[in-house]
Amino acid sequence: MLLSFARTLRYPISLLIIVLVLSGCTSPSSSSTTSEATPKRLTLLFNVQSNTIDPHTDVNYTASRAGISETLVKVDDQQQLQPWLATSWESKDGQHWTFQIRPDVTFHSGTSVDAQAVKDSLERVIQTNPAIRNALHIEKITAKGQTLQIVTDTPLPQFPSELVHPNTGIIDTAVDAGTPSGTGPFVLAQFKPGIEVDVKRNPTYWDGQVKLDEATFSFNEDANARLLALQSGNADVVYRFPVESLSQLQTDPNLVIESVPGLRAHQLIYNMNHTHLAKLPVRQAIDSLLNRQEIVDAVMSGQASVAKGPFLTDSPFSPPYTDKPFDIQRARTLFAQAGYTVSNGIVTDNGTPLTFKLITYQSRAELPLIAQLLQANAAQLGIKLEIQQVDNADEYLAENKDWDMAIYSFITAPRGDASYLLNSVYTPTGGLNYGQVKDAQLNTLIQQLNQTVDSDQRNHIAQQAVEMIDRNLLNSYIIHPNNFVAHQKNVSGWVTSKSEYYMLTKDLDVN
Amino acid sequence: MRMLIQKITGLLLFLFILSFISFCLLKLVPGDPVRSMLRVDDVAVTNEQIQQMRAQLGLDQSVFVQYGYWLQNLFSLDLGHSYMTARPVFSEFIEKIPYTLMLTGTSLLVMMIISLPLGILSALYRGRWTDHISRIFALIGSSIPSFWLGLLLIDLFAVKLRILPSMGEGSWQHLILPSITLGIAMSAVYVRLVRASILESSHQEFIRSARARGIGKKRIFTFHLMRHSLIPLLTVFSESIGSLLGGTVMIEVLFAYPGLGKWIVDAITARDYPIIQGYMLFMSIFIVLLNMAVEWSYRYINPAIAIGQRKKGATS
Repeated sequence: MLLSFARTLRYPISLLIIVLVLSGCTSPSSSSTTSEATPKRLTLLFNVQSNTIDPHTDVNYTASRAGISETLVKVDDQQQLQPWLATSWESKDGQHWTFQIRPDVTFHSGTSVDAQAVKDSLERVIQTNPAIRNALHIEKITAKGQTLQIVTDTPLPQFPSELVHPNTGIIDTAVDAGTPSGTGPFVLAQFKPGIEVDVKRNPTYWDGQVKLDEATFSFNEDANARLLALQSGNADVVYRFPVESLSQLQTDPNLVIESVPGLRAHQLIYNMNHTHLAKLPVRQAIDSLLNRQEIVDAVMSGQASVAKGPFLTDSPFSPPYTDKPFDIQRARTLFAQAGYTVSNGIVTDNGTPLTFKLITYQSRAELPLIAQLLQANAAQLGIKLEIQQVDNADEYLAENKDWDMAIYSFITAPRGDASYLLNSVYTPTGGLNYGQVKDAQLNTLIQQLNQTVDSDQRNHIAQQAVEMIDRNLLNSYIIHPNNFVAHQKNVSGWVTSKSEYYMLTKDLDVN
Repeated sequence: MRMLIQKITGLLLFLFILSFISFCLLKLVPGDPVRSMLRVDDVAVTNEQIQQMRAQLGLDQSVFVQYGYWLQNLFSLDLGHSYMTARPVFSEFIEKIPYTLMLTGTSLLVMMIISLPLGILSALYRGRWTDHISRIFALIGSSIPSFWLGLLLIDLFAVKLRILPSMGEGSWQHLILPSITLGIAMSAVYVRLVRASILESSHQEFIRSARARGIGKKRIFTFHLMRHSLIPLLTVFSESIGSLLGGTVMIEVLFAYPGLGKWIVDAITARDYPIIQGYMLFMSIFIVLLNMAVEWSYRYINPAIAIGQRKKGATS
């Protein structure tokens, strides 16, 4: 009986299969299709998605990156502060600040940008974003014409650098921040949370002609999918493609690869409360086990530079660093000099073999690999490293005391000033002082930095502090990963910025 | 009416217990959102500021007090604001749910288009080449990781043929690749289920009785055999809907599709408690309603179930 059913059903089923096949063969509307009649448009594919475009709360700075909002101060690739919506600023004591707001700038809504508008915008960010409220320490803002006066509740010489933060972007507070009205080269056309931001040219942009007519800032967190989008022509600029595809992309005549050293540093944190790690020779020995060049070549496929300290070597607050070669023999000697026994391929302390617990996390795929390389080199010397991966390293390192070392990563100087790193990591109350560093001399130097307004003097003090960190090896800085981008050959005016705060700019164009 | 009131009371009680348990479990997990909120990896923050913020959010209070506040706000229809985006939880949920429902619907459609014909054919041609093909399909379909299948489909349809978009949302074409990816993964299981269900039903007494009564083959197949086979399938089907509503993270990431899966995973990672609690609440309501609908559909598909329930009600 079932066979006779089969005969009856044969044709409808075949029809269904044909419909299914045909449904997959319909031509889609392609975003990459261009002709002379169509506007100049570009699609940028970024690697982190955003569910809000409110410049004051969005942790991914989409409005800034998409060229919608701008800040009072910007940072250039030499990590120097530059005027943006503020033409100048001054303070004698680091607490009372006067900013001159650029005249003849209007919001996308058409409202003029004056000191009052900037005050309203800054007051909104202080109200909505606790992180920025803590960073700015604003006590009082006074606005008059184009002059903005700000008093902070404590001397804050790095105040202008905090205003580089994209969350301080100046927007028209009379307009809903869900559809922000900024001052940038692009006006928001549509925001689809988690998918993309569509922008169009700002015809009255204060800084000159904007070359693109339209642009889309899309999100995709899968590196392979981003690569395929570039190859399919669905995207014109793609952030962080899979590094293993680099050689393949470099041979493609239609693509251009750009790679610049980033401001991030992958590092090894030592728990200073640990009996052995509190000793400088032990830290120096472990530092000698880090084969930085191998990490750059093998783990990062060349898309990184060896870190000699927390900041890039060309940074204004970097001292001349000492080289830190990979040298297992040196490590062995250092352990021996520090009173440890190194024999039969095992390092022991009073007969007890040395074992350390090393924390790492997965959200940056290379970190566990760096941990494994260190583990292998340590094993060669005779030290056991037990690697533990955690979901949230910040939480784990802050809440637990049972770890000895951690492979960690963050941007050490995001806004053209060294004070963030020094205050966060090296003061006893710093929120990133996971290693429990308590160095009175260093702390004094940091407090001196916190009172110094002159930028040259600040850089000099920062260099002294970094020298001290380097000398005492309070952390081992391993590599600076590159920011790398691939774009179609017809894209011009693209700049891969170190800070990654600025992406869609007025100079970006497609030919 | 009485039954309806009973159902609603049961639902409310269930939601209360579930929300309380999920709230407690969330709080038992170490960590909180304060470090993420204060952006320790981006701006200078002191430990004192972290403690202050913790107190400000009430995170230093007992779990019962915190749950009490949440419940109190819920009674005034306030699910709170996301710690990360500062936007109302309800707005974010309402933004995401249509995309998820759309993808769920189209994936199930693809699954049915593949699994029903293949499952029926393999039952009808048991032991023959059609059956072998369906078995191989089921084996391959359940072995291929869905993200890899998705990448293959993107490579074929978006990169090589350039006939479908590789990612995003906005047109029906954007739904094709994610739906096929999910649909194929699910249909691998359903093909075998359909086959087994039809074969099992075809041996039932009522099929032989129908034939003896001279009912036509088409009618027997459609109204007796298929109808009876649907009941076990429906149960699994409702479970699939439940898992699709929150469990398509990989596909959402791959195709940059703005569904609930990625949203909730991000919220869990960032310990965004208001989002997680809101999601739990909405999903439990949805799944309870779905189960009730499936239960009701049993009675429609097989009236014997309804009659049995009525008799049971009369005797008790």
